[in-house]
Amino acid sequence: MNPTLKRVIFAIAGAAAGLLISFIFFADLNKGDQNASANQSKAEKVFVPYGEKDEYYMMASGGHSGQLFVYGLPSMRKIRTVPVFTPDPATGYGYDAKSKEMLGGYTWGDFHHPAISETAGDYDGQFLFANDVGNNRVAAVDLETFHTVDIMSLPNMGGPHAGVFVTENTEYIALPTRFARPLDGQFAPLDDYESEYKGVVSMTTFDREAKKFDLAYQIVLPPWSYDLSDAGKKMSSDWIVMTTYNTEFATTNLEINASQNDRDYIVLLNWKELEKQVAAGNYKDVNGAKMIDPREHKGAIYAVPVAKSPHGVDVTPDGTRFIAAGKLAPMMTVFSFQKAFDAIEKGEFTDEKYGIPVLNYEDVMEREVDPPGALGPLHTQFDDRGNAFNTMFISSEVVKWNVDTGEVIDRQPSYFSPGHAAATEGDTVSPDGKWLVALNKIAKDNFLSVGPSHPESMDLYDISGDKMEHIMAVPVDPEPHYAQIIHRDKIKTITVYPKDEARPNSVWKQDDARIERNGNEVHVYGIAMRSRFIFDAKADRPDAVTVKQGDRVFFHMTNIDLDQDITHGFGINEYDLNFEVQPGQTSTLEFVADKAGVYPIYCTNFCSALHQEMSGYLLVEPK
Amino acid sequence: MKGKLSIASMISLLVASAITVMTIFVPWWQMKFYAPQYQEGLDIIVYPTRLAGDIDIVNGLNHYIGMALFSNESFPELQYMPYIIIAFAIAILVVALIRRKMPLYILIGSFAMGGIVGLLDMYRWLKEFGTNLDPRAPITLDPFIPPIIGKNTIANFVTNSYFSYGGYMLLLVFLLLVFPLWKDRKKA
Repeated sequence: MNPTLKRVIFAIAGAAAGLLISFIFFADLNKGDQNASANQSKAEKVFVPYGEKDEYYMMASGGHSGQLFVYGLPSMRKIRTVPVFTPDPATGYGYDAKSKEMLGGYTWGDFHHPAISETAGDYDGQFLFANDVGNNRVAAVDLETFHTVDIMSLPNMGGPHAGVFVTENTEYIALPTRFARPLDGQFAPLDDYESEYKGVVSMTTFDREAKKFDLAYQIVLPPWSYDLSDAGKKMSSDWIVMTTYNTEFATTNLEINASQNDRDYIVLLNWKELEKQVAAGNYKDVNGAKMIDPREHKGAIYAVPVAKSPHGVDVTPDGTRFIAAGKLAPMMTVFSFQKAFDAIEKGEFTDEKYGIPVLNYEDVMEREVDPPGALGPLHTQFDDRGNAFNTMFISSEVVKWNVDTGEVIDRQPSYFSPGHAAATEGDTVSPDGKWLVALNKIAKDNFLSVGPSHPESMDLYDISGDKMEHIMAVPVDPEPHYAQIIHRDKIKTITVYPKDEARPNSVWKQDDARIERNGNEVHVYGIAMRSRFIFDAKADRPDAVTVKQGDRVFFHMTNIDLDQDITHGFGINEYDLNFEVQPGQTSTLEFVADKAGVYPIYCTNFCSALHQEMSGYLLVEPK
Repeated sequence: MKGKLSIASMISLLVASAITVMTIFVPWWQMKFYAPQYQEGLDIIVYPTRLAGDIDIVNGLNHYIGMALFSNESFPELQYMPYIIIAFAIAILVVALIRRKMPLYILIGSFAMGGIVGLLDMYRWLKEFGTNLDPRAPITLDPFIPPIIGKNTIANFVTNSYFSYGGYMLLLVFLLLVFPLWKDRKKA
């Protein structure tokens, strides 16, 4: 045999033997079993047996669905969809007179960032506020009933993306604008962008008793795009921080043109100072809003340079620092409020940008955290042990790091491309540090396919240990942007509306159900109960209503079943009308009976064994 | 003091009188309903002066089987019960003070009589409500008489009837009334 060939054969045989031995000694033949047991322990962490309940509510924005999605944690079971900016036939939202008026003719909204009302920087669980980037509105959901109770339109805005966030005691619900526009609904060509277009922050207040919004004042700013924002806490509670992009004043192809500067800015606003100035009358009335220019008031506004095109800016639970995540620069920057206050005190400004004093980056920056290969940090959440958690949109992961040291502690993949994350009470003064949910933008083929329109996805992580543990991925309807996770003990719901005999239009005794006619208006004061409608107690057929074509008809319906979960629906055949009355609730349906004929009325929400029989007739006599 | 009740007996009667008054403020009898959809239970709670509990919900459900409505008005007894109770309490107090045996015998006799009449009255109402069902009701049930004490099943509901605090307090009153008979028994 050729000695060279022999050597080669021996070498191959030796290598093969080595591989065999290493396989016998080191190969993990039980890998499948180990995965199974790891999966079992993950499942045990989140399984909520019948009779028990989840520990947390997750309130997830529904994006351009205009709805609020309520999830239970840790099970990640969806509990309810609450309509906010979008009509919802399942609950009659947008059909009954009150909610129809509240929606103001709009059929959608773009809800990005929920904010639960706070007291002393902690969720108090009474109300949840929602922004509508699509149509410049702010809404409040009463967490006693999970019903939307007020919606207010905001003038002078161009999509309040950078809200909502609340100040420490919900003094203000703030909404900075994303797109700059000319004020007062005026026209101005895009060539005049720098001079005529403005960025605006709406400072709204909410009366918890009357459940009503009010626009306290608006802040006029340069036509930058305001992306995200947060309110200070404790030592920084007078301040608001907001990220900006498009300091280039680009008016077209923003993807390129708004990404040219190496630095954009974080804007610091002193809302306490502005409040004082507004009270002193230092504002202009613009389109019904009290408009104040903070640049005219010393100490009201500053800017800090930040890595370009940032997204999130988040204040630490102790209120001492704010962390900016630069989505196009691969790092998180920790800034110190104290350093900023010191620099302001010394009057150390580099230059002025459009009348705004700009603080030195080095004067305010405490540290930069740049985990290798981590790209596209978007948003920061916190635990109760001094750690921060950042979502990385581009490298599709969650990074855990220590705020004080900048040490990167753990990195876990997400599936895929997380936007915001929400940790248990992770943006309050006292985070719980138990769970984190990454709200992902891309699901690909993680779930059973439903064709080209994919669900979004959410990853649940256990963050109670030193290392994060990915527990599961869950599909969700489009599209949660941000969510807040609140402990169940803070939510105090009612299960049945209280019987209020003084409530306008309510009827509580069957004998009091009646129909009143006034010209061409027909008011039905009716009752829904298991399992019948009573519109006119005295009539031969108490569940029939006869009107004339063209009459304006009002069905004032009270559900007198004061029993948990006995909801009655009310649909009118071919009239495109349907609404609901919850136990103890009174609601009004108003419409013009413009079509002559006979239209069955029936209970649309299954209520009892004789639900099918719960029906009546609307008889519209031809003109 | 020959023939008079002892001090201990007098105290026993005074306590009985006080407890009798207290029964006005507590429920005497209760019926609890359970169904798969009502695992927390629905209550009918009978005070000597009024009905309490989930009366509206029970009425709402009862219309399916054609049972008449419960309300304070449907039981006229509830209006004069407090007077009967007060009268008994005063009678016990008087017997305690005069400390004679004969009035005590009469008192015990009428108290026992009152108890029997009360039970018969309850039975009458239970029979009235359970057997006088509207024949046009959507669900046809055979007439039934719920027991005063114990378990019964009606459609998807299991009912438990039982005496409540007031019932037991009245039993205690009875024991306190007969206590002097034993305490001051003739010794051979």
